[in-house]
Amino acid sequence: MSTINVSRRNFLRTSAVAGGGLVVGFSLSGCSSAPLPIEGSGYLPNAFLQITPDNVVSFYCPRDEMGQGVTTGLGTLVAEELDVDPHSLDIVFAGVHSDYNNPDMGVQATGGSNSMKAHYLPLRQAAANTRAVLVQAAAQDLGVAVDAIQTEDGHVVVNGERHPYGKFVATAAGLTVPEAAPLKADADFRYIGKTQPRLDAIAKSTGTADFGVDADVPGMVHAVVVRSPVAGAKLVSVDKAPAARMPGVSHVLEISSGLAVVADKYWQAKTAAAQLKPVWEDVPLARVDSATVRADYEAALDGEDGAVEAEQGDLETGFAAADRVVESDYWAPYLAHAPLEPMSAVLRLENGEADLWSGTQGPIGAQGLIERVTGISADKIRIHSTYLGGGFGRRGTLTHIMEIAEIASAVDKPIHLLWSREDDMRHGVYRPASLMRIKAGINADGEITAWDARRAGGNITPETLKNMVPALLPNMPQGMINWAVGLSHDLFSSWFVDHSSIEGLYEDYDLANRAVTHVTVDHGFPLTFWRAVGHSYTAFATESMIDELAAEADEDPVAFRLRNTTGNPRLHNVIKVAGEHMAKMQPAPGRHLGFAAHNSFATDVAEIAEVSVEGGNIRVHKVTCVVDCGIAVTPDVVRAQMEGGVMFGLTAALKGQIQLEKGAVKESNFHDYPILRMDEAPEVEVIIVDSGTAPTGVGEPGLPPIAPAVANAVYRATGQRLRSLPLQLEA
Amino acid sequence: MITFTLNGREVTTDDDPSTPLLWVVRDTFKLKGSKFGCGAGLCGACTMHLDGSAIRTCVTPVGAVADKAVTTIEGLGTPEDLHPLQAAWHEHSVPQCGYCQSGQIMSAAALLENNPNPSEADVDAAMAGNICRCGCYPRIKKAILSVSADQLAYEVKAKALNRAEETNA
Repeated sequence: MSTINVSRRNFLRTSAVAGGGLVVGFSLSGCSSAPLPIEGSGYLPNAFLQITPDNVVSFYCPRDEMGQGVTTGLGTLVAEELDVDPHSLDIVFAGVHSDYNNPDMGVQATGGSNSMKAHYLPLRQAAANTRAVLVQAAAQDLGVAVDAIQTEDGHVVVNGERHPYGKFVATAAGLTVPEAAPLKADADFRYIGKTQPRLDAIAKSTGTADFGVDADVPGMVHAVVVRSPVAGAKLVSVDKAPAARMPGVSHVLEISSGLAVVADKYWQAKTAAAQLKPVWEDVPLARVDSATVRADYEAALDGEDGAVEAEQGDLETGFAAADRVVESDYWAPYLAHAPLEPMSAVLRLENGEADLWSGTQGPIGAQGLIERVTGISADKIRIHSTYLGGGFGRRGTLTHIMEIAEIASAVDKPIHLLWSREDDMRHGVYRPASLMRIKAGINADGEITAWDARRAGGNITPETLKNMVPALLPNMPQGMINWAVGLSHDLFSSWFVDHSSIEGLYEDYDLANRAVTHVTVDHGFPLTFWRAVGHSYTAFATESMIDELAAEADEDPVAFRLRNTTGNPRLHNVIKVAGEHMAKMQPAPGRHLGFAAHNSFATDVAEIAEVSVEGGNIRVHKVTCVVDCGIAVTPDVVRAQMEGGVMFGLTAALKGQIQLEKGAVKESNFHDYPILRMDEAPEVEVIIVDSGTAPTGVGEPGLPPIAPAVANAVYRATGQRLRSLPLQLEA
Repeated sequence: MITFTLNGREVTTDDDPSTPLLWVVRDTFKLKGSKFGCGAGLCGACTMHLDGSAIRTCVTPVGAVADKAVTTIEGLGTPEDLHPLQAAWHEHSVPQCGYCQSGQIMSAAALLENNPNPSEADVDAAMAGNICRCGCYPRIKKAILSVSADQLAYEVKAKALNRAEETNA
């Protein structure tokens, strides 16, 4: 797959259409008359598939590939119903068009672990319809009945003779594509449940996979941006001369986020930018330290304020029925995503048109921001999506696209923009810090009689609006956006609970008497989605508390969980399967097992961590992960995502924190924001439970159980309950 | 002017000698397989070979490689002519986002060059300088250990023969 080497692709497209290539598709979003962003076609709308006369089958992948294996997963769906080998597909990242909207989100964006769930049937249907019209064309051309035709591996088979699909595309182009061709029965799947290895492995092992940072167009110059250490502070003054006179530098520009330095080469721009000594305005965030944040959250939970959500039964009755009551606070810090590719893009503005090369989780937003800044209409802004060098929620916020649009508007040349690692660490958007307080009661039978969960912290939704409204509504004036964002901050502070702030605090267990109270404390630090969102911290609180309750009841943690999850049969079963494995495990001397389970993004996961504590260090040797995500379309991708979720979650559990000093992020690079390395990485065994239900997501659900599983193992090893992340043993 | 060998070819650049090799290779010679991750020698995404040893090129000034041999991921193998490690990466579906993998493979290739039968501990030690944010470590390790000394020697020799034949033809 190549998205940047457009010349070969253009030739292929143009010749394909000239030769009667077939572009077919299936509308996911209702009728649309806008032309598809498929170069040289101008044919049918709503296209996911294109077949050329020489039998190249292209799949226009509507979702972005950030490592979660979506090209392999969705490619397998179309390959299955079209009867082609997934490895033979030419996979192209789709340009921006409403037909490529995410059916679960209503916009062209990738996230929320929903790609497989949202596309499982629609993409299969589009491919089945395509196969049906090809069969119909073949029947017509070959003079045989439709029933006499079989298909396999990109070929029509009649009386033992194989004819490539491409032979029939000219005839097919004149036929009406059916809308509801029958789908295969699960028992007939040839690729679903099997595809391996992943389709992008060779490109990604040979340096030939193109990321945003790799885009290169003639005449391109390089930009770096200097921003305020404290988020939101505007530039007051700067002497541009020290940078402007450095070799290769053509521009030192004021842009909305700070100062941009443009030079012939990246290193020249980077070196020159270091010469600038800007003065920034003072903002309230500059008086916030990490200690302030936690103290403010504690005060909030001690106070009377808060909005109540998810109320069921009556807490007073529940606590009256309790034999024992346990109450604990759990802390989770701000976190950075730190994808290994920092934010990057290439933008060319030429002849009133725009071309952007970048990997984002929202191509529609990138288009909208370019429209907002340059005034070029959306139909003249082409988004060439590349692979993403990691996403994890970070690439849904497109500050860098805003920056590059402003820079390109001022400089008459294509621009390459790259953030440094320090830029990424200090000027990003972050996982909210959270303080959670859970008070729970159990009766003599080991049933949870009351569950009073509280959370203090900031909210993601108003922050998301701040980033997304300008991108999705390019013509809305900034003043009106500021008003709407301010209003949403107020609404979520006082009236509504932002669900992403509390998700995972109450859903998993049978809680006859429960309430979740939320107190918003907003320090003005920029927040966004981070892998597993609210579940990334709420699972730590709930699964630690469940372990505390089991210990209080002097009961096996698996048995305790099984008794209290009868209302969640799929999670219950995952706990049961994992518990059976755990019972057979015989950890080496000095190693201890910790258990946790959690449902997130409609997927159930249980994890067992095998941990030792040596010289004050927590070492995780092995993790056993049991997952039920419905039908595993590409089982090895499911395994990989569980492995990745465990590793990402372990970095957060053992190492990760973003700290504020006078409102500025203290951490800067991988020496002070360490990432788990190979010598610390546990073996991971993944067991996929086949419930046969419709597929659900796997990108995020592997993460939430790992921190509590490790903390619960540490309790067994040391008797210490660690209730703050990252986990650190008392001296 | 600085002259060095890049994937077997002599190249010359007038970039400032203090420019990190990574940016000379990417911006001047347009080889984009080696990646920028940290700019501080902390993540290994920029790893190349200098006279056969793995180095972090984001902190190696190009002036320091004058008259030496630099190999990048592009010089190790191609999609049509995979190095045994690249074939193993494919077979084990190692990559997720893929951004770190050029650096991972270059570190692994340097390890096998010096130690064709590494233990798990050898692999851990040699790969500790390469971060994978997606957490592909178990698969990276499995892939490296799957490339046995015999297989490596056989494939490298076969490739050298092929190249010699092509040159002769």
